[in-house]
Amino acid sequence: MSDRILGFVALLMALTVVGLALFWNPIPDDQPVPKPGLPLGGDFTLKSADGPVSLQDFRGKVALVYFGYTFCPDICPTALVAVADGIEQLEPGEKKNVAVIFVSVDPGRDTPEGLKQYTDFFHPNIIGVTGSEEQVRKVARDYGAFFVRQAGVTAGGDYVVDHSADIYVVARNGRVVDKITHGSTPARIAQAIRTSLRVK
Amino acid sequence: MKKAVTFVLGVAFAGLALAEASDHITVVDPYIRLGPPNVLALGAFMTLKNDSDKVIRLVKASNPVSRVTELHTHINENGIMKMRAISSVSIAAKDKAVLEPGGLHVMMIDLQTPLREGDVIPLTLSFDDGSEKVIKAKVIRPVARQTQTGRH
Repeated sequence: MSDRILGFVALLMALTVVGLALFWNPIPDDQPVPKPGLPLGGDFTLKSADGPVSLQDFRGKVALVYFGYTFCPDICPTALVAVADGIEQLEPGEKKNVAVIFVSVDPGRDTPEGLKQYTDFFHPNIIGVTGSEEQVRKVARDYGAFFVRQAGVTAGGDYVVDHSADIYVVARNGRVVDKITHGSTPARIAQAIRTSLRVK
Repeated sequence: MKKAVTFVLGVAFAGLALAEASDHITVVDPYIRLGPPNVLALGAFMTLKNDSDKVIRLVKASNPVSRVTELHTHINENGIMKMRAISSVSIAAKDKAVLEPGGLHVMMIDLQTPLREGDVIPLTLSFDDGSEKVIKAKVIRPVARQTQTGRH
């Protein structure tokens, strides 16, 4: 009797092992599980000085998506200088697989041509895009970015734009895999790009 | 004797009166951060050191190349950066105030002429006692900080 039970238990264990071997498919190590708090993101098409630009155009590359505006006198330059430096810390083979999309949340003042002049100053891999108020708002919403105009804050401009200053990292497959907070070092940015390049 | 005392006191008071706030402030590494050719505003940064026993406030900055000059700060509210004009920058007694990218800065708004790398611009700093200090700030190409900004 006890032999029967033992045999049954042995069979059950054997089946479990075989079953695990056949069907258990853990997530490979190079596929990081999306971190909590990451937005869904998704494709978008906006205007650049050289025509329409879609996120999809960069499939196969890592794309950094940043929301800002050219009147932004301090935060945007600080972020873009760090991003440019981060890209320069990569190997040439990695560098050519990175694009930065600077989405202007100030379509009232920023033109595609002005954006090009602005982004070219920082790094050739940065592309400035904008669109209608509605389009820009939708992209910002998809990425969990926030912006709101504040009138009369400074004597210089009509308004400044309060905006979230995170950089969204989109992997080669089009998925948002990381978020770089404002004030991050170039080394941290380079590392985030490198890790995301490994995501298939 | 009485005269001598009066004289000494007089000189002492005159000395105190002459030691204006601007005499107690040392400005270290002032610079203007070069920007893209089409930007209308550039930030000026520096460290202000106060060697006096009293708090000194920087209440105004001006320069000959921009229409407006303001004192600004950034407030980081849950990742949302809010730039705001402020009425003064306090430099605590025997302490310093650091004006740096992402934080406190002098904002030069509506540049009348585009600035080039290497240009030197005089900045007039005004303090709460009415004293002034003129410093020379060089326009330099921005470089990234290699350390995390923890304050933001």
